[in-house]
Amino acid sequence: MAVNTEALGAGGPASPARPLVVSRARTRRRIALDRWASRLVVSGGIIIIASILAILLVIAAEVYPLFKAPTASLLGTYRAVEGASSVPAPGEGTGVDEYREIAYAVTSTGTLQFVALKGQGAVPPVPVPALGGSAVTTVAAAGNGRHLIGTGDGRAIPLEMKFDVVFKDGVRTVTPQPVFGEPMALDPERNRPVRRLAFAETGTGPVTVAQVGPTELALHSVVEKKALIGPSRREESLKTLAVSVDGEITALRLDGRGEDLFIGTSRGWVLRYDMRARERPTAGEAVTVGGAPDTPITALGFLIGDRTLVVGDAQGQVSTWQVVAPPQGGDRRLTRIHEFTPHAGPVVAISASKRDKGFVTAEASGQLHISYGTSGKTLLSPRAPAGDVRSVVFAPKTDGIVTVDGKGLWSQWEVDNPHPEITLRTVFGKVWYEGYSTPEYVWQSTGGTDDFEAKLSLTPLIYGTLKGTVYALLFAVPLALLAATYVSEFMHPTVKGYVKPVVEIMAALPSVVLGFLAGLWLAPMIERIVPGLFLLPLVLTVCILAAFVAWRGLPASVRGRFRTGTEVFLLLPVVVVGAWAAFALGGLVEATLLGGNYRGWLLSALGLTYDQRNSLVVGVAMGFAVIPIIFTIAEDSLANVPQHLRAGSLALGATRWQTALRIVLPTASPGMFSAIMIGFGRAVGETMIVLMATGNTPVMDWSIFNGFRALSANIAVELPEAPEGGTLFRVLFLAAFLLFCLTFAVNTIAELVRLRLRERYRYL
Amino acid sequence: MPQEALMAGNVELAANLNPRAEAASILESPMVEIDRLSLYYGPTRALTDVSMSVPKHRVTAYIGPSGCGKTTLLRCINRMNDLVDGVRIVGSIRVGGTDIYDRSVDVTELRKRVGMVFQKSNPFPKSIFDNAAYGPRILGVKSRSDLEGIVERSLRAAALWDEVQDRLGESALGLSGGQQQRLCIARAIAVEPDVLLMDEPCSSLDPIATARIEELMLELKNSYTIVIVTHNMQQAARVSDYTGFMLLGELVEFGVTRELFTNPRDTRTEDYITGRFG
Repeated sequence: MAVNTEALGAGGPASPARPLVVSRARTRRRIALDRWASRLVVSGGIIIIASILAILLVIAAEVYPLFKAPTASLLGTYRAVEGASSVPAPGEGTGVDEYREIAYAVTSTGTLQFVALKGQGAVPPVPVPALGGSAVTTVAAAGNGRHLIGTGDGRAIPLEMKFDVVFKDGVRTVTPQPVFGEPMALDPERNRPVRRLAFAETGTGPVTVAQVGPTELALHSVVEKKALIGPSRREESLKTLAVSVDGEITALRLDGRGEDLFIGTSRGWVLRYDMRARERPTAGEAVTVGGAPDTPITALGFLIGDRTLVVGDAQGQVSTWQVVAPPQGGDRRLTRIHEFTPHAGPVVAISASKRDKGFVTAEASGQLHISYGTSGKTLLSPRAPAGDVRSVVFAPKTDGIVTVDGKGLWSQWEVDNPHPEITLRTVFGKVWYEGYSTPEYVWQSTGGTDDFEAKLSLTPLIYGTLKGTVYALLFAVPLALLAATYVSEFMHPTVKGYVKPVVEIMAALPSVVLGFLAGLWLAPMIERIVPGLFLLPLVLTVCILAAFVAWRGLPASVRGRFRTGTEVFLLLPVVVVGAWAAFALGGLVEATLLGGNYRGWLLSALGLTYDQRNSLVVGVAMGFAVIPIIFTIAEDSLANVPQHLRAGSLALGATRWQTALRIVLPTASPGMFSAIMIGFGRAVGETMIVLMATGNTPVMDWSIFNGFRALSANIAVELPEAPEGGTLFRVLFLAAFLLFCLTFAVNTIAELVRLRLRERYRYL
Repeated sequence: MPQEALMAGNVELAANLNPRAEAASILESPMVEIDRLSLYYGPTRALTDVSMSVPKHRVTAYIGPSGCGKTTLLRCINRMNDLVDGVRIVGSIRVGGTDIYDRSVDVTELRKRVGMVFQKSNPFPKSIFDNAAYGPRILGVKSRSDLEGIVERSLRAAALWDEVQDRLGESALGLSGGQQQRLCIARAIAVEPDVLLMDEPCSSLDPIATARIEELMLELKNSYTIVIVTHNMQQAARVSDYTGFMLLGELVEFGVTRELFTNPRDTRTEDYITGRFG
């Protein structure tokens, strides 16, 4: 130090002031040190703020792609090698390999044509064998490159399109390998042309449905019966089915399980046939689809999983339908789920994505709509350059679209839409998922099979977070605030010296330990004593009040023996007796009033089920995590109330209780408030306790006997299994972002209120 | 000591108890009688064998250097020392004849009778009205009109009414230091105490505000018995009727103010009032 402290210490007013000898260099060094110290402090603060912002930025950057607008860019137009007649056959004879190198189409003249999309060498067309001079009238597709080619003479030729992929010197070469199967006769007697085809590879064998007349169908099925010994038997059956329908059949679709056959008609009806009994298809319900009557159905398609039917009509209306049971009960029936942005003209083709519930629809003029089945939204509307689109297909990786028009011009788009299922509405709103009878909030991050999509609604998780927080705070806030008030205002200072650090040590208890105890020890214990637990507050209050009345009844000379602040020791036995009485009474109440089994009573009287790991357990366990924080901050704010205010009140003859209630609590209220808010923030973000002490079921109800799944626990549970960059991964980051915002908002509000109120009491 | 004797106003007897104050010959009726009072903070003795009596409707001042125990003595009179941990008291204090350290005494009752004004003004963070009405309210006065009457009376008595009557609803923290201290006086007298203890009430005030408080004390002594602790000997000389000089926990000398200042019997008193130490 530059100042000679000894000289100062010795120098009172009596001794003469000595000149302070301070070297110039020392002064300069001191100033420099001071400057550096303040810079260090400032930069520390800035680093903290910057790192919090960086965290926010990282989270936001992971979330952003979820909501990025999808794009589709036209990569180019192409022509097949032989320009002669490359008009695609009606139906779904178009496809593309998964690297989008080669696109193919079956033409009506009976060739399989190829187009190289990325400048690979031209691939010569392959004629469809065994065509015997007749034309290709229709082509049906059943996914995985399998097609069925319908001919003008009533036969169908299976085609399986495979691609050989060879990597050589870092160059990928894709070679198409079409495999044609044995033709099967669908109309052996009359050899009428196959107008439309639908087929499915079911578990028992392939099923083919062909339209051979205006209202006439041929059903061809092969049943392979596997014998235990010897070769399996193959039974082929062919029968015709006359559909009683107004007008004629204009569209045909069979689901992949071969269960439901959907028939679109020229009068705007969709009929469902139950095909489960192969030999006897039964007509199910018929529904009208279009707004205007008599609008022909022009295209039918299935979304992946074959549960959602996409219907397009001649007026350009596009809607999705599912066979679901109505919410009020009854038979499953075809139900409209969503309507999409309509086309201006007839819908000519529908192609579903092979990865998600997206699909693309095309109208003849070349306008395409890329829509998403679950959200009911049309995401993009690219337009084919030349119009007259005959066929459209989604690339296998859902990253491109290929169309072929009536002049043999092919167009390719690149689609960038990695998270089509996520919109604000699907994340926070009710969504009508496949197989559900009504729109619901569902969190179910895996569907079991690829046919079912992940259901990523954050609403049940937000609900769970708030539920856990509310129950924890219901338990913690009264206890913590009353304890803080008692410790600060009434407890003997010596006792307080022990109690406060002990409670603060509670805050250092790792929450995984609390969660572990809550899940494995507290939950089974609470399960045994629920009735007593609910009687506890009541019985304790009565006991304590009785104790007070007894205390007041004692003569003043006896009361005077106990120093103020030591009453707690007199009250302890009362609390113990009260607790014992409550649990004894609980057993009695359960035996007499609740029929001996409170769980049965809850179910029959209140309709509530009791889960062992429930909100009550979480409330208590998380309460224990939150109490020390609320207690400490509240106690500090009470202790910070100037002593002279208490003295002023006591000197006016106020009791300690009056002083606490009228002077100390109001003055400390800002601190108490921020204590609650910070406790709230802690409870919202708490992970391990809610993870271990709840069943983690994302249900939405307020029952205290049910579990829930919180945002934070959900992140902990699911993040290890979420593929990086995937939709689930990003949705989990969205959950993290929500948590961040929630705690940030809560803490900011707490701080603002505290500052505002502190301003009010600044002159104390 | 038989209480009846004191109640009958046996002042001679009370005065005789204090050997050092004999010459003061206080012949007035005592409000507070302190009898051989010693006070210990743990093992430390803060007051030694103090005996004196405070006459009714007079201003009694304690003077002495810092740490001599005058504030401690003052705080014994309304048992504010109870709030300090580890305090032990020997001897007795009677207020209006009642031994206030008796076990059956309700300390809140005592404090209603013995009001206190602190060194640092300590208005509550409430409105002016609520501050003045605080005492009556905790005594259970609920009617607004009664409270208004009490507030006006006590604010007038504390010579504050004219300054604040238009802004009773405003926060008391917005008042000046002198006004705050007068508000504290108003707050103390709103419960109609017998005794008003003032612990260096002017030490943080400017001379003008100090003068107003002193004037106020002279008015208030007609209705209340006032005990004041002061650092300021001029103040003691100006406002008090009786003065006690304390040193190191002992009451060195107690008597009529004019005599104590003009003709001190103890040399230590003389040294102090002439400024030889302090």
